[in-house]
Amino acid sequence: MSDPERPGITRREAVLRLASTAAAAAAVGVGVAVFHDRRLVTAAAAAIPDWRVPIASRPPAAAARGADPAANVRRAVAALGGVGRFVRPGESVLIKPNVGWDRLPEQAADTDPAVVAELVRLCRDAGARRVVVADLSCNDPRRCFASSGIAAAAGAAGAEVLDARRLRLTPAALAGLAQGLEVVEELLQADRVINVPVVKHHSLSGVTIGMKNWFGVLGPGRNRLHQEIDRAVAELGATFRPTLTLVDATRILAANGPVGGSLADVRAVGAVLAATDPVLADAWGASLLGRRPATLGFIAQAEQRGLGRADLALVQELGTA
Amino acid sequence: MRWTIRIRVLYQAFFLFVFVWLLDRLAAGDPRAFPYTVFHHGDPLSATGTALAAGTIPGALAWSAALIGLTLLLGRVFCGWVCPLGTLQQLASFLFSGRSRRESLLVNRHRRWYALKYYALAALLVGALAGTLQTGVLDPLSLTARGLASGVWPVLPGGRPVPGGWLAALLLLGIVVASRWIPRLFCRAFCPLGALLGVFARFAVFRIHRGDDACNSCTLCAFACQGADEPLGRHRVGECMVCLNCVSACPESAIGYRALPPLPQPPPPDLSRRTLVGTVLTSLAVAPLLRAAGGGRATARAGLLRPPGALAENGFLERCVKCSLCQQACPTGAIQPAIAQAGVEGFWTPVIVPRRGWCEFACTRCGEVCPTSAITRLSAARKTGYDGKPPVRIGTAFVDRGRCLPWAMQTPCIVCEEMCPTDPKAIWLEAAVETARDGSERRLQRPRVEPARCVGCGICENKCPVGEDAAIRVTSVGETRNPLNRLLAGEPPS
Repeated sequence: MSDPERPGITRREAVLRLASTAAAAAAVGVGVAVFHDRRLVTAAAAAIPDWRVPIASRPPAAAARGADPAANVRRAVAALGGVGRFVRPGESVLIKPNVGWDRLPEQAADTDPAVVAELVRLCRDAGARRVVVADLSCNDPRRCFASSGIAAAAGAAGAEVLDARRLRLTPAALAGLAQGLEVVEELLQADRVINVPVVKHHSLSGVTIGMKNWFGVLGPGRNRLHQEIDRAVAELGATFRPTLTLVDATRILAANGPVGGSLADVRAVGAVLAATDPVLADAWGASLLGRRPATLGFIAQAEQRGLGRADLALVQELGTA
Repeated sequence: MRWTIRIRVLYQAFFLFVFVWLLDRLAAGDPRAFPYTVFHHGDPLSATGTALAAGTIPGALAWSAALIGLTLLLGRVFCGWVCPLGTLQQLASFLFSGRSRRESLLVNRHRRWYALKYYALAALLVGALAGTLQTGVLDPLSLTARGLASGVWPVLPGGRPVPGGWLAALLLLGIVVASRWIPRLFCRAFCPLGALLGVFARFAVFRIHRGDDACNSCTLCAFACQGADEPLGRHRVGECMVCLNCVSACPESAIGYRALPPLPQPPPPDLSRRTLVGTVLTSLAVAPLLRAAGGGRATARAGLLRPPGALAENGFLERCVKCSLCQQACPTGAIQPAIAQAGVEGFWTPVIVPRRGWCEFACTRCGEVCPTSAITRLSAARKTGYDGKPPVRIGTAFVDRGRCLPWAMQTPCIVCEEMCPTDPKAIWLEAAVETARDGSERRLQRPRVEPARCVGCGICENKCPVGEDAAIRVTSVGETRNPLNRLLAGEPPS
């Protein structure tokens, strides 16, 4: 059996060696899976999809007023033809509120939790397979999602709430923007995307509403976009084409934005606007802050590029409930 | 394995798991109020050290008296059954040392230099009495938490870098790996907490006892003896970690662990009086030297940003045990172990490094987990100044006009102002019109800092788009904790 020229090994030893080799290989595999950085190996930058739905002769925007933010959301969306127009059964929806800051809802630095929660409910009722609420906060994400009340409200309404710790970034084709920017990967996987900004003062762009809210899906380096803020915001509006923009004006931050803090800077407006035209949405929000849309550089540029129309007469005012 | 050993291993696994799990919950920002400081509050070395240095035993550290009581009853069960660093070393020695019986006997024999730990204890306590608290450097609980916080969490997915932490991680790794050659080398020769407990363990009620009649001197008891306390010879009670390996190894059932009458002459630690006196005198001399070496505590340092609520530097250094809990708890990764920022005696104490993270405006987590109240507990209203009193300031931000985009490059940017959390913002924008290189007119908003509003949180420095060295930087001037490190004339002294 044993040949001195070809020393054999026992079956037992062969099994042991194979098993240990397999275990070592599995350990390496697990290590690679856990630690590898997907961003370094992603080959091509992904294109940003267009999430809009074709829309007929409906009004491009409708504003509802009243004390109950949830009722405002329902009425405004209903005026555009109802949520079923925008979200089909089985689709996945990503909702992008502004959860940038570790502030309470009363301070109006983040989107009102009741507005976000009601929108989540509408999408669930329309048969959405998955509703994600996501934002890359400026402050500590845990604190932002907790203080703003959005984690609790949206979670209770049936959404998957993802903060910066659970969102992955991926390189994306952002043609007119700064080099090397990344976007939230979940955004690219969503069938429908709804932008839910809050209306706030901003010292550089004048106001921050819907198109500026896309900063929150961009990774590190987004702070360089401020160097040409008007062009950058218009570019964001051209890059990200949401299904719907829902402007939260339950409370608006009139000064010291976009972080705020003092309740003296907050004005209770009690309105919500639903719009398929993002430029019109921003124009409407700006008017609440007492700014004429034409005086804001990014709105003028967005209008020139044909992204929408900043004509407030196009907004259907639904009045107070 | 006998059932006594199984129970001990279960205890060790349980305490190691709880220790690591609490650190994990801290890093995850779990809002539930777990007893994060439970190990550290039971640490008599920290309690003795802070009592000697600061003249006070802060908060729940008084619980450490319970551990002394336990040691007087059962011996050094903390070392053998609870201490996470002891468990890690024992595990390493169990896994990686394949020794023959002869080698085992050799390696588990007591050495005179194992008394080093008593000298270390004496030096640390005398140093504390002289005003510099360094127990945390070698305290096994601080050392383990620090090594894990600086060495393990930063490399986990989603972990935040701790650039100065590699040395702490390396020390922990070195201690664990050293057990491959000498089991529990750190416990036997260096651990000041073990030495402190050893002083009391000599009087323990429950001890290892060898019945001379049944013993046939087979030496099996010393085969896996963790403390090198020689159960076969004259048992060194102060070195014994009550691992009970000897009890289960004895084929003749000659060794037992039970309540025994007090020893007529408890064996004292194996110390040379001359060396001990020399150690005491040396550390008396070194303590003030350490303090002076870094430029002294009275000198305010620009880069020494302490966490919010930290005591003035004297009080802080008299309490901080370098346990890294605040670093682990910080949600933004701002708190880092000091390497050079705090002088020699402040090595590994926590500092805020704004380029790593900022102090979240309403967050008071670091003070909540500090076991020795070196960082005081603040309410969010107190810290932010929403209670009507001045806010707690860490330092003050300064614009570097040579690097700032609007100031130096005529390029619009307001990121620092946008991020500023105070109300009204400490950073405001001055409108200016400048002539560009091509002769055209540029409208600019140039950031300026209103120092009376600035709390020094550092989010401006953290988010500044100018890479590496930010164009706005926070230094410690104006910090609440130091009434001498002031900027403004009208400001009240504290």
